[in-house]
Amino acid sequence: MPDLEIVVCMKVVPKSEEIRVDMESLLLERTGVRSEINPPDMNALEMALALKDKQPARISILSMGPPFFEPILRVGLAMGAERFYLMSDREFAGADTLATTYTLAKGIEKIGDVDLILCGEESADGATGQVPPGLAEWLDLPQVTLATALTIDQKKRIVQVRREIKGGYEIQEVTLPTVISVKTASNEPRFIDFHRKPWAFEEAEVTIWSHDDVDVDDGYIGLTGSPTVVSGLREAEVRDRRKEFLQGSPEEIVRELAKRLQGMLT
Amino acid sequence: MTVDLGPIEIDDALWEELIEITEGKAAPCFQCGVCTATCPWGLVRDDPLSVRSIMRGAQLGVTQAQEAIWLCTACGQCEIYCPRNVPIVEVFQSLRQLLWERRKTPTGLSPVLWSVYWNNNPMSQPPSQRMDWAEGLELQIFDPSKHEILMYFGCTASYDSRAQSVARAIVQLLRAADISFGTLGEEEPCCGETVLRLGHSPYFQDVAQHAIDIFEKYGVTKLVTLSPHCYDVFKNHYPRVNDSFKPIHYTEYIADLIEGKRLTLKGNLSSKITFHDPCLLGRVNEGTHSPRAILATVPDAHIIEMPHYGPDTLCCGGGGGRMWMETPPGERFSDLRVQEALDVDADILATACPLCISCLEDSIGSMGVTNLRVRDIAEIAQMALGEVSKNDVVEE
Amino acid sequence: MVASQYAPSEANKTLWVFLEIEGDDFASVSLELLAKGRDLADRAGWTLCGLLLGSDVADRANQAYSYGADEVWLCDHPLLGEFDVCGYSHATMQAIKEGKPSVFLLGATSNGRDLAGRLAVRLRTGLNADCTDLILDEDRGVLVSEVTGFGGGVIALLESAEHCPQMSTVRPGVFVPNKPDPSRLGELVEIKVKLKEADIRSRIVERHVGKGVDLTQAPVLICGGRGIDGDFESLRELAALVDGEVGATRPPVDEGHIERERQVGQTGVVCRPKVALNFGISGAFHFIVGIQDAETIIAINSDPKAPIFDHADYCIVEDTHKILPELIKTLKRERESIHA
Repeated sequence: MPDLEIVVCMKVVPKSEEIRVDMESLLLERTGVRSEINPPDMNALEMALALKDKQPARISILSMGPPFFEPILRVGLAMGAERFYLMSDREFAGADTLATTYTLAKGIEKIGDVDLILCGEESADGATGQVPPGLAEWLDLPQVTLATALTIDQKKRIVQVRREIKGGYEIQEVTLPTVISVKTASNEPRFIDFHRKPWAFEEAEVTIWSHDDVDVDDGYIGLTGSPTVVSGLREAEVRDRRKEFLQGSPEEIVRELAKRLQGMLT
Repeated sequence: MTVDLGPIEIDDALWEELIEITEGKAAPCFQCGVCTATCPWGLVRDDPLSVRSIMRGAQLGVTQAQEAIWLCTACGQCEIYCPRNVPIVEVFQSLRQLLWERRKTPTGLSPVLWSVYWNNNPMSQPPSQRMDWAEGLELQIFDPSKHEILMYFGCTASYDSRAQSVARAIVQLLRAADISFGTLGEEEPCCGETVLRLGHSPYFQDVAQHAIDIFEKYGVTKLVTLSPHCYDVFKNHYPRVNDSFKPIHYTEYIADLIEGKRLTLKGNLSSKITFHDPCLLGRVNEGTHSPRAILATVPDAHIIEMPHYGPDTLCCGGGGGRMWMETPPGERFSDLRVQEALDVDADILATACPLCISCLEDSIGSMGVTNLRVRDIAEIAQMALGEVSKNDVVEE
Repeated sequence: MVASQYAPSEANKTLWVFLEIEGDDFASVSLELLAKGRDLADRAGWTLCGLLLGSDVADRANQAYSYGADEVWLCDHPLLGEFDVCGYSHATMQAIKEGKPSVFLLGATSNGRDLAGRLAVRLRTGLNADCTDLILDEDRGVLVSEVTGFGGGVIALLESAEHCPQMSTVRPGVFVPNKPDPSRLGELVEIKVKLKEADIRSRIVERHVGKGVDLTQAPVLICGGRGIDGDFESLRELAALVDGEVGATRPPVDEGHIERERQVGQTGVVCRPKVALNFGISGAFHFIVGIQDAETIIAINSDPKAPIFDHADYCIVEDTHKILPELIKTLKRERESIHA
């Protein structure tokens, strides 16, 4: 039986607490802002690595982003992934989810023969959770989101996914190949394997694809391929904890608290 | 939890790896058992931590007793008494390194290493907020042409609100002594002590090298630390920085300032103070003199010693990376320490380490003790400066 | 430029809301969206339609009318009995192809987000997810969605004026449902759904609702410290009212009031709930580390100097015993009035 081919979609995000909006250009200020790998993507990679602990698998990291993503995401190779594909081109920039998922889907098609596509549940910057279903749709694959555990039967080409739902969990079964998004913080990403580290950061060849390297329709990528337009952008007024003291009698306070809870709760 | 080694497994590959990682340091052990007898775990458990068995395991090659390997607080008590000078603490750390390689570490520890990697601190705190505690203090970035020392505050003091008061106290003391000092600001590198103690030696090397690069960049030579943990790791575990690199613990620095009359403590304290020597200061690095010298200059401070003092100090339980591991009630060394302080009738339990403060105050809280306060030497000295800003002193 | 399956010029002046079924009712977010949809439709002079999928669910349309829908577009098919994102996408596409709405809103529930994400791609349109507000630019007929990003640090206004339908998902609790008017009538539009077994691409093997302690997945975390004197019974009662989980600081765990699996903090569980509600907790750093990424932190402590107030959004300086029972009573009352 051939190795299980897994693609983990990962991206680099700016540290949320450092983000500033340039009010003139209505763009996010990136200079001097520290980056990290989108934390849920680390959970997705850990899930792939945990699968590889149990059965032969080959893990490829796929990302769409500017060149500076490369040194940062190499840490995924150090954790245990074998390959890293970075789709990087000015033409890809400015993409909303439609264009992003389209581009990533084309990348996955180019990698070819993929059994399992894992994504983080959402991203720390946009936090929409749209990429996994969007990817699945472009690739015409089934999907299961919010997975906390997977069991794969490669012979039968099925995967059983434990998925969080309101008040509990369910086990869903889908056929391979499939797209699965991994619930944030559902596992502890393993630390870097220092035996792999020199190779990962210095020797490993990262495959960089420009828009010419992939079979994309130029009208579907980047800003051109993005139906969504940002018409306004501003920093939220309150960034630190509000530290608002509720005043009044216990009854008044409770009334106010209950009202606010209503507004916050799922 | 009993420590049960179970059948000894001799695995050639594991054994070779062990000898390589420990550099054969466990070899001299001749199983006398003094280490087990002196280990503080024996004070809180019926079945003590069998350090002897683990040394035996390191000689023969075993993977059992993994839980026990994580109990070590790196207090160094065993090493003092070992007749063969086996570097027992290092052997424990090497065994932990083996467990990292085998991916058999307790939950909660990988995130600590990742935190150092992404955030430059083990506490998952935002790196951009490292200097928030110093707002309004107008600290300067270190410049060797202007500053006598680099004041190295460390991660705990930067982020833990209790420890921040110690940082502010030190700033006030330095200014009272008219010392021109700088800090590394947001670029202050994590010293990596947590990584070392948790046993990830290869990553520790990386963290240390990164810190050294920053020290070189800023031309750091004389460096004063707040925490004995940072002090110990800079002094004893870092590769060579440069010929002039000299880490000093702040108690030694302040004691020298007082002796050199650059700083005088005049405020009355009128308290019975007992000093809890942090392991990494009092036992491992022979730093018992300075804290006491400082206290001795505080007018009206009546200093009493607890039975375990100086190099015999009783570990608070926070070292060895154990701040990230849960210690069940009834097994906390700091409970015993608090009792010792109560037994000598102290009002103030003084110490000079933010981890000790955390453990001791935790015990005071859980034991319901109301007549004993924990204070850092810096906080006591600050109070004794005479002018005290109400924001700086920790109130009950 | 990628073009949507139908252009805005071809779209009908209708606003669709996905009616997500939850047991015997619609998910509350669907009712909330009907209310907002009603408001937007009234301003624009548009028709508000509910999209209802399921098996044998036609009679639920009446509920949709009572909450404000003018029409209900019904996809009734035996294969739609259970939510399957592929099957539902198929059926919804058929409905949308016929109905050509200008705007399509869905609740940002786990199923809603999945469905919206697939549909947006299939329709080649823009999707604004987890919106915190919706504004209709009546002159252009364009829906402007307000979303937050970067952990709430940034607020953006998004629109997709040249693509149809304009899709947005909205989190539960953002809008408020209207009071139902059972006398309200509406029109049922039935779609002849074409579905085959192969269109259903997932199978639910098991479903468990209830037991199991996983604090990290709880949207609401209710923590008790020394100050509640071991009264976790009340915290459990509160937790049940808000679909939350109970956590604790170390002292009550040490004292045996609650199991160690529920200890929150540096040596316990680190959680990122929507809401962390803390009773009688002083706020030592090693506890704060366990909840610092919560969206909203609320703290109740009788000590005005408790360090936790430096880390909270809403601070209540009051005896826990004066707040907790009253809060439980109030929430119980509200729950009962909703179900009345």
